[in-house]
Amino acid sequence: MSVPAPGAMRLHLKKFRKYVAPALVATLLLWGASTVCRVDLGALLAGMPRGVALFGHMLPPRWEDFPALAGPALETVQIASVGTVLGAVLALLIALAAAGNLSPHRAVRELARGALTAERALPDLIIILFFVAIVGLGAFPGVMALAVCSVGMLGKLFADAFEEVDPKPLEAMAAVGATRAQIIRYAVLPQVFPSLIANTLYRFDVNIRMSIFLGVVGAGGIGFNLVMSMRLLRYQEAFAAILVILVLVVMCEQLSDALRRRVLGQEVLR
Amino acid sequence: MNGTISLGTGRRKAEQRHRRYYERYLWTGGLLVFLFGWNAAELGLSARLFIEGLPHFLALVAEMFPPNWQVLTGGRVWWGILETLSMAFMGTFLGAAVSFVLGILAAGNAAPSRAVREAVRTLMAAERAVPTLVIILLLVVVVGLGPFAGMLAIAIGSVGMLGKLFAEAIENADPKPLESLESAGATGMQVIRYGVLPQVMPSFIANTLYRFDINLRAALFLGVVGGGGVGFDLHMAMSLFRYADALAITAVVLVMILLAEKLSDYLRRKIIGQEVLQ
Repeated sequence: MSVPAPGAMRLHLKKFRKYVAPALVATLLLWGASTVCRVDLGALLAGMPRGVALFGHMLPPRWEDFPALAGPALETVQIASVGTVLGAVLALLIALAAAGNLSPHRAVRELARGALTAERALPDLIIILFFVAIVGLGAFPGVMALAVCSVGMLGKLFADAFEEVDPKPLEAMAAVGATRAQIIRYAVLPQVFPSLIANTLYRFDVNIRMSIFLGVVGAGGIGFNLVMSMRLLRYQEAFAAILVILVLVVMCEQLSDALRRRVLGQEVLR
Repeated sequence: MNGTISLGTGRRKAEQRHRRYYERYLWTGGLLVFLFGWNAAELGLSARLFIEGLPHFLALVAEMFPPNWQVLTGGRVWWGILETLSMAFMGTFLGAAVSFVLGILAAGNAAPSRAVREAVRTLMAAERAVPTLVIILLLVVVVGLGPFAGMLAIAIGSVGMLGKLFAEAIENADPKPLESLESAGATGMQVIRYGVLPQVMPSFIANTLYRFDINLRAALFLGVVGGGGVGFDLHMAMSLFRYADALAITAVVLVMILLAEKLSDYLRRKIIGQEVLQ
């Protein structure tokens, strides 16, 4: 009588496999991960007063530093914008080869797709360290690294946009004897233009944040000022740099948001 | 007759539109080219610099080969890999747990009050604006160097995005089940548990898995600024000009990232697929 019906047993087993087993695995993984990370609530609690004291040391920010920070902040924006544009141009060329409907040959397409996938798999940190090692310190390695980091994502998005274009204008132009370049110029680009711009602007947001990090490895920009101030325990200077960085990030995001909405909205209205 | 006239005006209109289109794009395009050139010049970039760098580039690549696999035998790199994976996993989990609560508090149809909702929304927006670099630099002062600081930085860095996406998913949930639960006398908690969560969990889990992919890459960066993990080893190898070591570490890191992405892809497909089938 107390033996459960086979149906109920199966239900229990199903429940176990669906909920209990994953929960057990997750608990085990979390335990392992917290051991490796040396999770230490005591250290966190002990550090709290230090955190509060840190804010005390940071206030007020050194206002007289702001003029001196304008140069590095501008450099950060310049590195991000030039890197993004270079990356977008490269990505556009590769995407033309990687899009199934525009690629000159199947082999070329596979090659281009493979290159884009490989770049996306490569962590950005490796690319950045690589360029700093080759070119040395300064803005140049930063720009090159950002350009290469952008190619994988933008190239894939561009190629996907190319493949999704309405094929009718392309066929019509091909039927009246247009060359491949003419078809791309007059039938493909007008269709994908908004998405190209919107994606490039989105990548610019990503690159601004990355460009702040670039300063840490010596590739120029305001990140360098922040890290140096923190290392030298000059917290008021550091806070000034943090404020400038926040303003920079928010302003660039607002700008790219406004531009993106303009580009997309205008095209939707047409 | 009538037909030709309308055709004429149509064509003129089309031409006008065409001209306006080009004027607009030529202006913005010209401005962009100018800005690009000016910025590039200001940064001291030039084609010459690029060409002069090429031999250097080839020399460095040559120096990387063959990769020095010896560096992997010590166990230091493998421990770094383990630390990086742990930081990303634990940080994503903690961040997701906090986002879960904050997301509910920030959703217009689930928040206890308007003031709470606005406060949580502002908090999450502020977090999204702060670069991870700033977070880790502050955390290193609080809890010291090491993977614990990195893990906390990843957790905090995930909350803004995951919380926002979760709140949006809750707001987009189908209101009908919620209303019928309410009319049957369910409490607020019960409505969330039985009406909202079943609808939004798949997207929450999928977003968390996606965030894990991002966080694994972020964990590499954190190594450079004192967050522990294999990013530190990689940075050290590069700074000490041990390029062959760096290539070997890079290979291992690549395999780690590819495997982790495959796994999260698989889980995502499994979870979303299963929920869609229900």
